[in-house]
Amino acid sequence: MALDAVSVQFARRAVPVLSDLTFSLRPGEHLIIFAPSGAGKSTILRLISGVIPHSVMATVTGTVEVGGRGITAVAELSRRVGVLGQDPGAALCLPDVEQELALTMENHGVDPTLISSRIDAALLAVGSSDLRLRLTGQLSGGETQRVALAACLTNHQQVLLLDEPTSMLDGPGMARVRTALDEAVERYAPTVILVEHRIDEFAGDRGLEGLPAKALALDKDGRVLAVGATAAVLEQAASSLYDAGCWLPLESELKVVLGKPGGLASSAIQAGLTEWAGEPGGESRRGPGTVVLHANNLAVGRAGGRTLIMNVNFTLNAGEIVAVLGRNGTGKTSLLLTLGQLLAPEGGSVHSSRPGMVFQNPEHQFVAHTVRNEISHGLPSNSALIDVALATYGLSDLAEVSPYRLSGGQKRRLSLAAMLVHDRSILLADEPTFGLDRRGTVGVIEALRRAAHAGTAVVFSSHDLRSVATLAERAIVINDGSIIADGPIFDILRNDPVMAEAGIVVPALIGWLLDSFESPGQIRRVLDRLNSALPLEKAAPAPS
Amino acid sequence: MSVIGQPVRDARSPLGRRNPTIKLVVLFVVSLVVMFVFDPVTPAVLYLLALLGVLASSRMPVRLLMLAHIPFLGFALGLFIVNALSRPGDIFAEWGLFSVTVPGITVGASLALRTLVIGVLAVAFVFSTDGVTLTTSLHQQGRLSARLTYAILAGYRMLQEMPQEWQIIRHAQSVRAPLRPNGRPRAGALAFGRAAFALLVSAIRKGERMSESLESRGLGLTPRTIWRPITVERCDWFFLVGVLCTLALVLMTSKALGYLRGMEALVG
Repeated sequence: MALDAVSVQFARRAVPVLSDLTFSLRPGEHLIIFAPSGAGKSTILRLISGVIPHSVMATVTGTVEVGGRGITAVAELSRRVGVLGQDPGAALCLPDVEQELALTMENHGVDPTLISSRIDAALLAVGSSDLRLRLTGQLSGGETQRVALAACLTNHQQVLLLDEPTSMLDGPGMARVRTALDEAVERYAPTVILVEHRIDEFAGDRGLEGLPAKALALDKDGRVLAVGATAAVLEQAASSLYDAGCWLPLESELKVVLGKPGGLASSAIQAGLTEWAGEPGGESRRGPGTVVLHANNLAVGRAGGRTLIMNVNFTLNAGEIVAVLGRNGTGKTSLLLTLGQLLAPEGGSVHSSRPGMVFQNPEHQFVAHTVRNEISHGLPSNSALIDVALATYGLSDLAEVSPYRLSGGQKRRLSLAAMLVHDRSILLADEPTFGLDRRGTVGVIEALRRAAHAGTAVVFSSHDLRSVATLAERAIVINDGSIIADGPIFDILRNDPVMAEAGIVVPALIGWLLDSFESPGQIRRVLDRLNSALPLEKAAPAPS
Repeated sequence: MSVIGQPVRDARSPLGRRNPTIKLVVLFVVSLVVMFVFDPVTPAVLYLLALLGVLASSRMPVRLLMLAHIPFLGFALGLFIVNALSRPGDIFAEWGLFSVTVPGITVGASLALRTLVIGVLAVAFVFSTDGVTLTTSLHQQGRLSARLTYAILAGYRMLQEMPQEWQIIRHAQSVRAPLRPNGRPRAGALAFGRAAFALLVSAIRKGERMSESLESRGLGLTPRTIWRPITVERCDWFFLVGVLCTLALVLMTSKALGYLRGMEALVG
């Protein structure tokens, strides 16, 4: 596969999304793309799948070749290219799982007698054999993502394009997908191009070795920073990527911040982190505030469905930050909805004043046509709070823009701003860092912490353990229909049996911190220093 | 899933096993033929036969079949009353301003019974037919193009997910809504409109992405194979021929006995 001097420009945009992109991959090579959000990662994948310019209008210059041939219509290209798009929900198009997996094979004229066994093989590879007879509409997010990946593996195409294939998966799901990809590579050696936010989790224990061997780094304007062997690309571009707010492998991040190579294994890095841990100051933690929420023998479930969680008993204090942890599908979202008084409890009771809640997809909460009106919704239109909120959340320059046109990080900040401006005593947040880049994640952590500091009790669910460790003081772990642990966050993270039972994989950095430092203050100081090392976002120009 | 989106109780019933395209043809032909019948006796006989046939072959619970009759009965009653009161001809009875005519009663009863014939067949079709199988069968037997077929199925999947999406959006927005004095979130037409807008935006985007993913999975390529072809079995032909013969037999008997009347019933 080869791209030569490719530029892509969309109509009504002043600057190209991609400029002068040249790279090539030999059959069987793997590439990971590092780029800030909005820099054209997905555009590259859509170029190779032919969607740009065949289905989406754009001006493309330069040449793109796959398997020695130019880019043809999308359907024709699908014989050589398998695609897993960013939204797995939209990747599944048919009402049942079997038909879904058969579709690509039918379209490509595969002998019908082979189809059934290939469906089994693909589902087995992603660890979802039990889903074969299910309806696609009844799958959870994680299940959907695995079935969508299986649908890409049935036909053994030469090229596999994966756009954030693990965004919705919990620890075990992530590991399973990783194994499935490795198996596919062993079986038919496809060329793989990967876009991934959760880099360290994807790489697993192998560090940089666990990533694709080649990498491509882009700057925010879609120009190439570096391309080549992954280690060399990171060496060359890590600092620019870091400043642009991208996720980097931990080793590269530590190198940028501390200036020393080798990751956690290096004694120089360890010394640097230990020095931070020993610094004085840091956040002063206040004693427990007044009780703002009381859940009494609560049973959580959806009307008409089975009960998801039983016997939920806990209290929540003002200013406290609590993480809700557990596998995909354990009922974390339903628990938050019940605490938020949006879902009636199946049993027991919750007592609190009206909580605020931010949903996983910020777009679901938008009610206005400009950012300013979004924040002023429910406030007097001349309220001084509006401008303060715009400034606090870095949205002042975007006040008159439609909420739908913001970037992912901006949308999330807006949804938090619009909720927090109402000064409710409790904020519930469902996967608040989902899909965000590093800077967006740090922004959310700061916003939630600010809210807690002002006395709001914050309850959030997350699979991102680093954010959880940075932010939460307490964790509630759900598994198999009940709360299996509730206590100070680092005690919970150190409790190996609980972590194993709930399928939670502690990332390397957190694991090292837990082993090296006793006090929560030390651990949190290190994590905070890593966050505050990130330079502030340069004022983003308003989208046209 | 049946065509109406409710779970099919028994797709393995004799009627459930018939080829959907053939069933659709039968429904269409019978409906077309009864359009030209205007006496009450013929459709009454046809209705009884259809009802017995449906009860015997669809394993549809009697109670459900009764309930499904309600909309058709309402429509049939309306047709009967309007015709009885408004059709010119010999007066059958008079109450003050209202007069009921003999042709009014016969034509009205015929139209009402016709509604029930079509109604009971349509209900049985919907109950016994799986939406996906129908679309796939129309693709294979009805020459519906692959692109159109799978676009319909993708749309069907989006429809299935919409209630859930709607619920999420309503929740997501009601948590932001100002409260009314009684402490409940305000939920007027405006709130409804806002949620509808959010649903529309998400549906349009999702539709776009789905069409992209259908294409990138090779939809529209030829030659394509069909994994589980929906076949037309000998039983399906027996079913088709059987129903049409019964229909013809009823019409001929009715004609021989002098009951059958066509369009002429309307003018004379």
